Amino acid sequence: MTERDQTRTAVADPEDDRNGAETENEGEEFEDDGIIDHTTFDQLLEMDDEEDHEFSKSLVWNYFEQAEKTFGDMNEAMKKLDFPDLSRLGHFLKGSSAALGLTKVKESCEKLQHYGNRKDATGANTITDSEAEELIRALLIQMREEYDEAESYLRDFYEGQETQEA
Amino acid sequence: MSSASSINSISPPSPPPSPTMSMASINSDISEQPRKIKVMIIDDNAINLTILSRLLNKHFADTIQLTSVMDSGVSALDQLSKDQVDLILMDIDMPVLSGVQTTTAIRSSDNHDILVQNKNVPIIAVTTSDAAEQRELYRQVGMADCVSKPIALPKLRMAIESAMKTIPALSTG
Repeated sequence: MTERDQTRTAVADPEDDRNGAETENEGEEFEDDGIIDHTTFDQLLEMDDEEDHEFSKSLVWNYFEQAEKTFGDMNEAMKKLDFPDLSRLGHFLKGSSAALGLTKVKESCEKLQHYGNRKDATGANTITDSEAEELIRALLIQMREEYDEAESYLRDFYEGQETQEA
Repeated sequence: MSSASSINSISPPSPPPSPTMSMASINSDISEQPRKIKVMIIDDNAINLTILSRLLNKHFADTIQLTSVMDSGVSALDQLSKDQVDLILMDIDMPVLSGVQTTTAIRSSDNHDILVQNKNVPIIAVTTSDAAEQRELYRQVGMADCVSKPIALPKLRMAIESAMKTIPALSTG
C-alpha cells in the first residue's frame, strides 16, 4: 500500500463518507471545474522560460511533495486531536495552494485553519471541540479529493505540454 | 556569409577615449546611475519563496537585487544584524516569530543587534491574512503595505514603487 493510500485510509471513515455519492468516475476527463484560478496559474506559466515549462513544473511537483507530507502531518495531528497543529497545517498548505491557483484546496485549507482554531468556516463564530472534530474529519476527506482533482489536472496539463514540445 | 561580404561588414575600431576625459568625470557618470535596491524576502514556505524570487528576478531585475532569501523571522533578524537591505517582503504567519513579531523586533529601539540602517527599512507584508483589521495591525507595527497572496504582479509593483519612494537617495558604494 502506498503512502498516499495510507493517507486516504487513515482519514476516510466509511461511516463519515459524505461524498461517496458524488465521486467522479476515474475515466472521465477532468474539466476545469473551478479547480484552477487561471489568472494565478497563468502568471506562474509566464515565469517559465520561452522554450519549456521546467520552472513551473518543478514548482508544481515540489508542491505535490509538500502537500503529501502535509496531509500525512494532518492525519497525525487528527489522531491526537491537536487542533492548533491542524490549524497551522491548514494555513501552511493554504499559502502554497493559493500561490499555484488551486482554488478549492486553498478554500478548504482556510476552513481547516478556522476549525482548528475552534471557529466556524467564516472564522467569526466559536465552535466546540466536538463540533470542530466532526467538521475537520469531514473536511480532510473533502480536501483530499479536491487535491487529487487538482493533482490530476496539473499532471495532465504538463503531460500535454510535453507532448506538444516533443 | 561569404568572405567578401564578411570583410565589407567589418567596422573600423572605435576611437580611443578623448584624453580630455578625466577619471573624475568617468566616475561621476557611473555614480549618477542609481544602484539596485537590496531586497530581503522572508517566508516559511519554500514554494512561496521560490515564486517570489522568480517574480522579482524576472520583472524587477533592472531595479532590484535580491540579496537575502530567508525562511524564518529568526534567520531574518540574524541576517539584518549583518547586512544592510533597502526593502523587506515578509510573510506574516510563520512559526516561532510571526511577521508582526519580526517587524516589531526590527523597529524596536531596544534591539541593538539589528544594524541601525535596517531599523526603518520599508517592510511589505505578503500574506493571505489580508482582512482590514489585519492590515491595520500591520500598519500599526510599522509595515508600509500589504500585498495579498496569491501575488498579483501589478499590486506587487505598486507596493514596491511606493515603498521605494521612501528610500533615501541611493548612492554607489
